[in-house]
Amino acid sequence: MAFELKKGLFAIDEMRNVSIKIGKVIDEAEEWDEPMGPTPKPGILELRKWDHKLLDRFEPFYAPMSDYCNLCTMGPCDLSMNKRGACGIDLKTAKARLVTIACCIGASAHTAHARHLLDHLIEEYGEDTPIDLGPDVNVEAPNIRTVIGIRPRTLGDLREALDWAEKEIVKVLHSVHIGNEESYIDYESKALHVSMADHIGMEVADIAQIVAFNLPKAEPDTPLVDTGFGIIDKNKPVIVVVGHNVMYSRPIMEYLEEQGRIDDFEIAGLCCTAHDMTRVNAKTKIFGPLSYELRVIRSGLPDVMVSDEQCIRADLLEACKAVGIPLIATSDAAVRGLPDVSDWPVDKIVDALVSGKLPGVFLPDPEKVGQVAPLVAEAMFKKHGGDRKYRFFATEEDMWNEINKCTQCMNCVFTCPHNLRIDQGMAHAQKTKDLSKLADLQERCISCGKCEQACPKNIKIINVIMSAGFDQLYNRTGKTRVGRGPVQDTEIRNVGQPIVMGQIPGVIAAVGCPNYPDYASDLKVILEEFLRRKYIVVTSGCHAMEIGMTKDEDGQTLYEKYSGSFDAGGLVNVGSCVSNSHISGAAIKIASIFAMRPLRGNYAEIADYVFNRVGAVGFSWGPYSHKAASIATGFNRLGVPVVVGPHGTKYRRAYIGRYYKPEEWWVYDIKTKSKVNIEPAPDSLLVAVETKEEAIVQLARLAIRPNDTSLGRQIKLTHYLELSQKYLGALPDDWYLYVRSEADLPLKMKDELLHILESEYGWKIDWSKKKILEGPIRGFDAGFNPTLVEEVYEKYAGEKPPQ
Amino acid sequence: MAVKKEEKYPVARRYQVADIQVSRDATPVKPSVVVNLVKKAKHPVLVTGGKLLKEEKLVEYAVKFYEKGIPIIATGGSSKPLIERGVKPQSIVFPLHYVTQFMLDEEWQGFDGKGNYDVVLYLGFLPYYLSRMLSALKHFSKITTISLDEFYQPHAKFSFTNLTANKEMHYQMLEEVLNGL
Repeated sequence: MAFELKKGLFAIDEMRNVSIKIGKVIDEAEEWDEPMGPTPKPGILELRKWDHKLLDRFEPFYAPMSDYCNLCTMGPCDLSMNKRGACGIDLKTAKARLVTIACCIGASAHTAHARHLLDHLIEEYGEDTPIDLGPDVNVEAPNIRTVIGIRPRTLGDLREALDWAEKEIVKVLHSVHIGNEESYIDYESKALHVSMADHIGMEVADIAQIVAFNLPKAEPDTPLVDTGFGIIDKNKPVIVVVGHNVMYSRPIMEYLEEQGRIDDFEIAGLCCTAHDMTRVNAKTKIFGPLSYELRVIRSGLPDVMVSDEQCIRADLLEACKAVGIPLIATSDAAVRGLPDVSDWPVDKIVDALVSGKLPGVFLPDPEKVGQVAPLVAEAMFKKHGGDRKYRFFATEEDMWNEINKCTQCMNCVFTCPHNLRIDQGMAHAQKTKDLSKLADLQERCISCGKCEQACPKNIKIINVIMSAGFDQLYNRTGKTRVGRGPVQDTEIRNVGQPIVMGQIPGVIAAVGCPNYPDYASDLKVILEEFLRRKYIVVTSGCHAMEIGMTKDEDGQTLYEKYSGSFDAGGLVNVGSCVSNSHISGAAIKIASIFAMRPLRGNYAEIADYVFNRVGAVGFSWGPYSHKAASIATGFNRLGVPVVVGPHGTKYRRAYIGRYYKPEEWWVYDIKTKSKVNIEPAPDSLLVAVETKEEAIVQLARLAIRPNDTSLGRQIKLTHYLELSQKYLGALPDDWYLYVRSEADLPLKMKDELLHILESEYGWKIDWSKKKILEGPIRGFDAGFNPTLVEEVYEKYAGEKPPQ
Repeated sequence: MAVKKEEKYPVARRYQVADIQVSRDATPVKPSVVVNLVKKAKHPVLVTGGKLLKEEKLVEYAVKFYEKGIPIIATGGSSKPLIERGVKPQSIVFPLHYVTQFMLDEEWQGFDGKGNYDVVLYLGFLPYYLSRMLSALKHFSKITTISLDEFYQPHAKFSFTNLTANKEMHYQMLEEVLNGL
């Protein structure tokens, strides 16, 4: 006889000969008294209505990369001009399906990472390990609370959230099979859904590693660590770790600490593992983002490479082999064709790698990786003596031989993602022996290596560019503030009101990959414009590294100039990709901590709150990965617009509203119990810009929200207008749309703007009082209480919404 | 001296070798064809991009288009040098992504309120960025798109050929278009 008791409180008395399986025991004291909202653990349909609200306003925009579909055996099909394929799908829907697939890939990357990490940590530390994110974090998992409807107390509790995310990813992935959706809008809803799940996966992963590995817990003043290409002491063995899962690199640090030898080695990382390593141990260093992988490998710096998962070059083994660097692959997501040596003794693995019998091994045992990597690094270092480090060519003559092979055929230019004029750099060097044009390319090249594949002369173009720009590359060093994880509840309490009212003009979240359209250092220029203007700037991942290796004329990075506090003018590095959940979490916490909105299973209300009130804007200057697509789309569902660099158009889809259609810009006002036409703020959820000038203006523009107070709107408009004048040469076309009363106008320009409103837009002005009488879309009302969600209106207004 | 013979132009070649999945390539055109297309247009417009911030010559040509009566939508910050030279763009704040979204809407009345544009000229864009916008317009609108940039744009309806190897030829072709207007 067996009973299965589900979650809850039970009294069991005088029962004999029974076997009881208890799913989960919950103490009475731990019961969460916040009432459950309407959508705990939502399926595909529960938030569809919210999605359609957004998609009605922000019509999806499709920019096909291919006119064809070749996903099934009835194709390939020509879908050009929105024709239908053999399965019946049209071009728009096919593109929406591709976007959904991309978001599924991104969400599953983070979620599988979380699963891998969580299972391992529960095994190692136990499922009862408490979730403690420091004394200033009580709302420990805002995404999980809002979406799943639970308040996780232990590592074991996180499983429930992860189970949900995995289920939803599979369901959405199912929908992309032939014969399913025929509505691009519903595919977009699914992309939004799975991307919300992505933020759950990220939150689980980062909470788990913070708790288990004792990473910084919401501390603003985390240490600064060395960052950049030239950070390595070449007289030490170098261990280079690449990827996103610190589970495999942490044992290396632990082993060396135990041995008292960590200072005898250099341990540096590429991509997000680097961030997470520095969170574990600030003695480790950050080489840089994905675009530094080939730079680092080809310069002969690593004595051993340790790869884990995601955002790693798919030719890593080949690249390492070419330079004689042994590779230890660790994650089942990227076995790289290598033999599994888990059962081998450490000595045998080390010997195989150092002798060159094996170019690499697959070793998914973290503890063994911790021992093997240092031993291999030390032996390899002894073998070559460090001579190869920081060299792209054995001799200068070798480099010139390569340059002289170039015939300016342009194949490299036509295949380069940035169309960099390699031909001109080569020709200039050939004619004048001046490498400056090639050196300049170094600062814009993302080292993808496609040019070398296209070159009919097999020129080692990457090596040429890096050699030519070696001094700049070597000197591109600096400091990155170690990722701090969550934002404190106390910080939210302090800034919640000024953000919602608009006195802090916005939160700019600079997140994403290094596929920048021009100089990487432009990112610093863009962000400093906002830091000086007292916006809050939050960052993570590759962008956070880039900031750490761009110095100003005084030799300082932004991390050294601006505080790490989540406050006006603060620059907050939350950490790696999975730490992005703390950025969405901070937006959610504003609704909870400042506005006392209930989070539990209450996603639509919270997203609606964020959308109408929190002037946060995501910014990905170099979007590249599928993860970046799902992170951004997850922010979109939460009501946060995202500006991406020009390569972001290749995600194929954007969400752009049409400001000139007044019928699309409305809210229910709970205070006046009416449906109100509003200004188009924000007027897009995802848009790609071309230049840094354009990025700056759009970021300021998209931080405007309907709920801004007069002072807040005045501050936001001041920045928007000033930035437009500075970078676009004039006032923006649409500034008048955001004026509700004369109190919204920037003080210094008030008279001038009133005159323009009267003369160019026909507004009526009472000049004796300098007051606007007629003209705005709506007037300002201090009690304005906007919502787009009927249920939210009904909840707070106590009646059905007006038609 | 203006280039007049088509055989002098380089072969049209996609700026991105991998961008081959195109059902209909742009027709590579010489300046005289551009002139005819613009002259026949009811509501033409020139859209300028961020490259004007780096290439002074492109600013000069955009100003000349304006002086010939072609209105300008300035994107990417290209408005700044244009305004400094006396141009009054129809729009300065909307990125090309927005502008393209508006153009896809048949009900849009244009920035000047005279209806959607029928012939759109493009000058001064990152090629891959413009490519995506041209793709959207190719599939989902009837607008005639003409790229005047140095990289051949397969998704446009009409495009200059590849002029990447010879900047002077690019300038000459722009000059020739302007002379014909």
